[in-house]
Amino acid sequence: MTSDSAPRQVAVRASGLGKTYVLGERLRLGGAFTSRLRGRPVHNTTIEALDDVTFDILQGESLGIVGVNGSGKSTFLQILSRTVVPTHGSLTVRGRVLPMLSIGAGFHVELTGRENVVLQGAILGVPRRIVLARMNEIMEFAELERHADTPLKRYSVGMQSRLSFAIGMRFPADIYIFDEVLAVIDGAFRDRCLAEIEHMAGSGPTILFVSHDLEQVARLCERTLWLEHGRLRALGQTAELLDRYRVRPDARRTQDDGST
Amino acid sequence: MTATPLNRTYAHTSDLAAGGPAPPEVHIRPVRHRISVGDVTANLGLIRVLVARDLKVKYKQSVLGPIWLLFQPFALLVAFVIGFHSVANVDTGGVSYALFALTGLSMWSYFSSASAAGALSLLGNTNLVRFTSCPRLVLTLANLLASLPSLLVPAVAAVVVALVDGYGSANLILAPLAAMWLVLLTAAFTAITASAAVKWHDIPAALPFLLQVGVFLAPIAYPAENLSGVTRVLLTLNPLTGVIEAWRWCVLAVTPDGLALAASLTLTALLVVGAWLVFGRLEVTMADDI
Repeated sequence: MTSDSAPRQVAVRASGLGKTYVLGERLRLGGAFTSRLRGRPVHNTTIEALDDVTFDILQGESLGIVGVNGSGKSTFLQILSRTVVPTHGSLTVRGRVLPMLSIGAGFHVELTGRENVVLQGAILGVPRRIVLARMNEIMEFAELERHADTPLKRYSVGMQSRLSFAIGMRFPADIYIFDEVLAVIDGAFRDRCLAEIEHMAGSGPTILFVSHDLEQVARLCERTLWLEHGRLRALGQTAELLDRYRVRPDARRTQDDGST
Repeated sequence: MTATPLNRTYAHTSDLAAGGPAPPEVHIRPVRHRISVGDVTANLGLIRVLVARDLKVKYKQSVLGPIWLLFQPFALLVAFVIGFHSVANVDTGGVSYALFALTGLSMWSYFSSASAAGALSLLGNTNLVRFTSCPRLVLTLANLLASLPSLLVPAVAAVVVALVDGYGSANLILAPLAAMWLVLLTAAFTAITASAAVKWHDIPAALPFLLQVGVFLAPIAYPAENLSGVTRVLLTLNPLTGVIEAWRWCVLAVTPDGLALAASLTLTALLVVGAWLVFGRLEVTMADDI
């Protein structure tokens, strides 16, 4: 792990970042829309998915993010990946972000493995030259060399997720995001992915790692961020923070929290 | 299976770590409007890949493939010849009825198929909208470009038939301009329907019906000057009317309805501005709404 004497640069800075969702704002005849037309107030329930969080993520560090479902982990990563727009505060990002928020997002079943890699590269904004240069490496990592020209609809679910992972780890970026994606793969390939992320973590890029599997977080991450009800509960050294996280009051209830 | 990672560095991976030029800082803040010309100009490569994907998918596992592009306008043409020519004997000012209808249908073919497919360009890419940051406008534009064969094939057919029938004139030089006008109008209309469809699923539900009726509400099967009074005014307010008039002027050298041209140009400009505003506004919450 890196322990430079010089202070590391900030890769991501969240200041007062927040995201409020308004529930029940849908335009529906006889609902909010007509009430508004009649000049009546519309009462909407709001949810603070992310509520005034402020912290820095350092360049080159591997940061774990823990919290129960609905604590704001995914909302934060969606804002960082620029899929979702925040409603408060700001987020400053230095470097290219490569989000893996879902396995196989953007794959097309009619296209071959190779064509899907090109498609993913274009979606993620990776220069075509680099996409083609990394093609063999990606197929090798996914163990799909023999199926590179097979349409994805002939792939098993496992093959598709291997391809997705290979893309997520072989395309260049400064900040890699893994949101709960290791949960859906199993066996030897998961071990390879963990080892690969561990290797990446020590060699330059910043890694953001979300998992309900605290062993994985402990293994991969120097520091860990704990979110609770959309707020920043704590940010600190992984070992110490996880000790506190494991004994939180609601730990027993949410033990088997693995779903979504 | 060994768990040893490959011995390689993330060389271009990190300009920061490699001591190269630091990538620019990006500031993410609350916005009310998220759309820019750069969404398109900086993503030409992505548009190209998406168009290739859509075209490939469209004609895979289809026996007739691109022949379907001619089938739809041809089927309508046969119906129009029977209904409007044989039965109603519509006056087309000296132009043979089939050719007259074919010129109109060659424009309609693109509008109807591109807007039907385009309305679903975002809903049909749910995963991309929800999990990636690729500009959503790119998805809609790529879809519109992938529908271009249904403009090119019937339009070329119409021009060829017109030339064979001896309608060639210098006006033909401006035909691409009329076609571009059609694409711009379709793009503006589709940008609105596609972005609104994410929030309100009524839009893709209503659209097929609208398109079914729409073919009779533009001067496709009959000339605009056969109408008068209120119906003529309503027809003039359809922005497609001007496009079809302009296209017929190019291909058949018939005098266009000046008022309809002016009205349609104005409406197209308004629609483009409106589409920019609507799409940009809805793009802010698109990943939440989809």
